[in-house]
Amino acid sequence: MNQVALLIALQSDVDCFSGATLETPLESLPRWDSLSILLVISHIEANYKIILSGQQIRQCRTVGDLLNLIPTL
Amino acid sequence: MKTALKNFKIRAIALSTGSVTRSYIEDGLAQGIPQIKLERISQTIGLNIRKTALNNITALDLCEDAGRRLLRQLDLDVSSVDAIIFVTQTPDYSQPNNASLLHGRLGLSQDSMAYDISIGCSGWVYGLHQAALLCAHGGLGRVLLCAGDTLSRTTHKLDQSINPLFGDAGSATLIERSGAEDMMYFMFGTDGSMSSAIKVPAGGSREPLTSKSKEELKDKFGNVTTQENLQMNGADVFNFTLRDVPQAIQAVMSYANYKVSEVDALVLHQANKYIVHLIGQKTGFNPHQVPNAVFAKFGNQSSASIPCVLIDSMGEALAQKAVKVVGCGFGVGLSWAAFAGEIGPITLCPIQPYPQTP
Repeated sequence: MNQVALLIALQSDVDCFSGATLETPLESLPRWDSLSILLVISHIEANYKIILSGQQIRQCRTVGDLLNLIPTL
Repeated sequence: MKTALKNFKIRAIALSTGSVTRSYIEDGLAQGIPQIKLERISQTIGLNIRKTALNNITALDLCEDAGRRLLRQLDLDVSSVDAIIFVTQTPDYSQPNNASLLHGRLGLSQDSMAYDISIGCSGWVYGLHQAALLCAHGGLGRVLLCAGDTLSRTTHKLDQSINPLFGDAGSATLIERSGAEDMMYFMFGTDGSMSSAIKVPAGGSREPLTSKSKEELKDKFGNVTTQENLQMNGADVFNFTLRDVPQAIQAVMSYANYKVSEVDALVLHQANKYIVHLIGQKTGFNPHQVPNAVFAKFGNQSSASIPCVLIDSMGEALAQKAVKVVGCGFGVGLSWAAFAGEIGPITLCPIQPYPQTP
């Protein structure tokens, strides 16, 4: 699965990513908040069976950085 | 670790909440938070109404009220209670413990035990296990388990990530020795390496209260806190509820040899509606088996939330018959405690605010 496909899947579950691209800084998303972080963890756990730590997410700058945390086969 | 006990029963449960009704949306609007943002959060995690205590009311007061109502409804002589176990993170004093204070208020016999367990949202299960041990193997006949907190006052009022979550409540559960051969199965777990994920940094022996501990700090989302307030790393706590809590539930069910289809209810600590839903889903339960109405009515009540579910959502069934229950409390520590067994029929006192309005 490429990053664009991962982004589309994320957008269908987590509302704060609507209109975002891989280059969009997370901090620029109007609804990027502590609730969105939980929804991202939940989406990635449910779909890819990995649980991201809060620290891993805090180190991400862009939406693409976040999707890079998902291991691709 | 797993352990199982028999020769005890839960005879009665009572619960008293704070008397102040707070609305998440109204409080948020008063703080200038946009309605659309409040509604998004409210719909996702179920924040709605919570009951908080007046400033002069503590967990001790709430549990005393619940305990008195329980003893009155059973028409029990207080001298027949052999021990008080008090589970709380918000005691009246660092010394003496809440259990001794309540012992004095209720007028128990001097020939009795009174001790606190310092633990939060997993605490009712810890207390149940302790009380069951005392009855099944300690020669005691009757133990009053009190579990409650006033966590709403531990958070900074401008910390939107955590302040709107908590309601205040105190529960009382009476556990008795019995000849019942049915086992209650328990599964306990701890991850002390993650102890900072839920923490009040200042106010204990390690970090006394100083002018520095009162300094307000603002995070990038605009939430304000101090070292004297309850702080929570939401992502780390969420991870633990997704990973360790479902495992503990599955392990205790395997230990008890329970199938999902034969369990009447999965009773979870009501951290929030979203977490309760996810844990139910991950453990294969049907939503109708997982009560989740309590959070939107009372808030997260810490160690009192499991007894609140038992009264509020399962009271009718529990008053009439034995019900097959799996449960799990989880939170500060980090700590989790699961149980599986039959409960009921038991006496349930109605949930009431304290103090009552005239």
